[in-house]
Amino acid sequence: MNTKGEAWKRHFPTATSGAHLFPEFEMRAKAVSGEVFRVPDAAEARETLLRLVDGVGAKKAVVVESPLQEAAGITEALRSRGITVYTEPADIAAHAETADIGISGVEFGVAETGSVFQDGGAIATRLVTILPPLHVVFLPSANIVPGITEAFDIISQSFDRGYVGFITGPSRTADIERVLTIGVHGPNRFAIIAVDETPKGGEA
Amino acid sequence: MEAEKNLRKEISEKLKDETLRDALGRFSEAYPIARAKAYENAGDIEALRDALRRMKIDTVARIGEVADRFEAEATKRGAKVFRAKDGDDLKAYLVDLCRKKGVKKIVKSKSMAAEEIHLNPYLEAAGITATETDLGEWIVALAGQRPSHMVMPAIHLSRFQVAEYFSKELKEDIPPDIAFMVQAARKELREKFLQADMGISGANFGIAENGAIGLVTNEGNARMVTTLPRIHVVIIGYEKLIPTIKDAATILKVLPRSATAQLMTSYMTMIAGPTPAMVKKDGKWVEEEKEMYIILLDNGRLKAARDDKFKEIYQCVRCASCLNVCPVYTLIGGHVYGHIYAGGIGAILTAFLHGMGEFEKFHELCIGCRRCTTVCPGKIDIPGLIEELRIRNVKEKGLPFVVRQLFENVISNRKLFHSLLRLASVGQKPFQSGKLIRHLPLFLAGIAKDRSLPAIAALPLRDRIGKIAKKIDSPDRRVAFFSGCTIDFVFPETGESVFKVLQDLNMEVLFPEGQGCCGKPVIAMGDVETTKKIAIDNIKALEEMNPDVIIAACPTCTESLRHYTELLKDDPEWGPQAEAMAKKVREFCSFVAEEYTKRGWLTKSAGGPKVTYHDSCHMKRVLGIDKEPRRLLEATGCELVEMKDADKCCGMSGLFGVKYAELSMPILEQKINNIRDTGAEIAACACSGCMVQLQGGLDKQLPGVKMKHVADILAEQIKS
Repeated sequence: MNTKGEAWKRHFPTATSGAHLFPEFEMRAKAVSGEVFRVPDAAEARETLLRLVDGVGAKKAVVVESPLQEAAGITEALRSRGITVYTEPADIAAHAETADIGISGVEFGVAETGSVFQDGGAIATRLVTILPPLHVVFLPSANIVPGITEAFDIISQSFDRGYVGFITGPSRTADIERVLTIGVHGPNRFAIIAVDETPKGGEA
Repeated sequence: MEAEKNLRKEISEKLKDETLRDALGRFSEAYPIARAKAYENAGDIEALRDALRRMKIDTVARIGEVADRFEAEATKRGAKVFRAKDGDDLKAYLVDLCRKKGVKKIVKSKSMAAEEIHLNPYLEAAGITATETDLGEWIVALAGQRPSHMVMPAIHLSRFQVAEYFSKELKEDIPPDIAFMVQAARKELREKFLQADMGISGANFGIAENGAIGLVTNEGNARMVTTLPRIHVVIIGYEKLIPTIKDAATILKVLPRSATAQLMTSYMTMIAGPTPAMVKKDGKWVEEEKEMYIILLDNGRLKAARDDKFKEIYQCVRCASCLNVCPVYTLIGGHVYGHIYAGGIGAILTAFLHGMGEFEKFHELCIGCRRCTTVCPGKIDIPGLIEELRIRNVKEKGLPFVVRQLFENVISNRKLFHSLLRLASVGQKPFQSGKLIRHLPLFLAGIAKDRSLPAIAALPLRDRIGKIAKKIDSPDRRVAFFSGCTIDFVFPETGESVFKVLQDLNMEVLFPEGQGCCGKPVIAMGDVETTKKIAIDNIKALEEMNPDVIIAACPTCTESLRHYTELLKDDPEWGPQAEAMAKKVREFCSFVAEEYTKRGWLTKSAGGPKVTYHDSCHMKRVLGIDKEPRRLLEATGCELVEMKDADKCCGMSGLFGVKYAELSMPILEQKINNIRDTGAEIAACACSGCMVQLQGGLDKQLPGVKMKHVADILAEQIKS
């Protein structure tokens, strides 16, 4: 998989995937404490994100751009809210640890498990997804595959080298007395903003 | 002997550990339900298990080629691969690497292989600090202990104990509040991640197709370990290798579901070749290619791959579901097993990774109930492999003197054995203190507090035949009854019931006088040669009568008689005879149910007492018989009420129930409680071993409930 994370698109199974799987995906993602917001368009996506940002009183964000975020003007919107936004790898490395929120794009969702697939080949992506306490991802709501098997049909054709994987809800542990505790080393909140509208240019 | 003494001491300590007992008790209740729920949307579980099994069998058959490809592909993408033949080899390489690269601080995510070779103390001694970052592993490390479970390393500790370890480590007063403690760990370990020079991870799988490793985790620590430090070292055992990327899906369909009852863990990460890292240089963050080292650990694994039977361990994905359902593990936890890998699978892995010496210490803790075989995603025959290891161990080292004497000279000598049993019926007391007695079949052993052991009957079945055998003119079938020692000498009335039921079906029932012990207690100890002698004597005795069918009213005897085929397969004279005989062997309940069906008798009726049925482990999981005894009970008019965990072991399991009475008793107690909860008047079963245990337990703990063999209940309905 190249570092831009585009190779998987050529193998996306349009016949078996689609927005009709979204309800199952949403149910599974919520069952593992994921927060799911399905929105019709870029404008709603932006509003949803800003509500999340306001909710935690975020002052500092680390962001890796994706087409959906660009279409929604996420970075500009955050800045005009007075939030400091870092988008360059060196800045992200310096600030991800103290940022209130990390924002990135994911490639597709898996209905069977409520997981999202992300190409984390770029170091900035991994820092943004793992270090801040709240991680928000943007997902085209039509990009849902039925299950693990179908996900691997795509992955097996597109993953050659790099760092890829599923994220399924926030980080968790049950290592003390088997009591489920959300938020260990990774984020304690994981939110998915799923956008119905395809950004201009035809590609999500 | 010293080892055995230590084991006994540890068992008794664990049994007294209320925290452990409580945690494991609750877990063993919750796990099967949670697992079943996790598989609800997974499709056909058996198909998934078969797919995993097939994929792994295919892989191990060409493990050399798969490993070469893995190495080549990982190398092509910029990783350095080192093959370590054992722990020493790995440790020397790693410490050398640390020295060359100036590594002082390491963060580790979970690696059982690293635990297996005791990596951390070695690194400490070399002046390198290695911090475990998986919460459970970190807790266990702070406590100076070993993990007690492969998936939940600290399951044996309470929040109060954890708070104590945290307070000591963090030098502040940490309250026993779980959420608070998790946050304290996050804060403390976050610093370690950011400062580390090297990250060491394990791997849940390694893909030959593109040299990728896969990590299945929940806490996010593995992502930190593989992302933040400039060097990433992977420790992976050969058994984790799979041929293709798609094969990972086969594992991921089952691993999270079986391990933690999750559909998917929070993070599933695959890494192929080094990826960029951010490194601070002259106060500035710059992007640099990471260094990635993959250490492929052998340590006995390649020897196992070449072993026709033990290559099966490659089917293990370390989900630990076998532990979660094990009646013994869920009583005492993992520390008793002496090493890093606990439970039945642990005993096997340990034999290969640490040698037979370690195996010998705790293989007896596998009671052969086969519950693990119903959940293992790789369908490993764990009890079968343990039995095979015992056989090899005996071949190599022989049996302890007293046991050998007993097997070779007593049990395999029917006349002597039976005269001892008769003697026991007269003078049971003085006989029980004898030296040999501890190793005699269970009913001669000592009395346990919560279980009375049944007395040897005054008149064994073999002396009653004249009175009970009916002459049948033109019988439907001629049936030879193989009673087994227990029905013969302890429950002769059940033997009479068998005669009555079969004769009622117009069958002529024969009792071959020359029959002796089926050999199960002997083969269970690994003594193949003596078992062969026993087998030949029994084949002679049974075939002499030239019966149409051979019936046993005990699943273990049934299984043993059939197993003679395998046992004698290389014997030109007895092999074919064993095979011919095995074809005639039938278990009583399934045979009678079939005959009742033919006659239209297997229909539910009413008006009888409330009965609950206990599934013997071997009846259900070896012979696959569970419906027939229930239908028979209902046909007699009994009201069948199911008990909880009807198919969970009663705790007898042959000699185990006697030798490890302290473990057998709590398992029995659960069974008795489950029987009590049904409100049944009768606890029925169809296995003579279970009868000994259940009768003993009911007598002491629930005297209002009677224990009966299904044959007894059937016989009561027959007017003589």
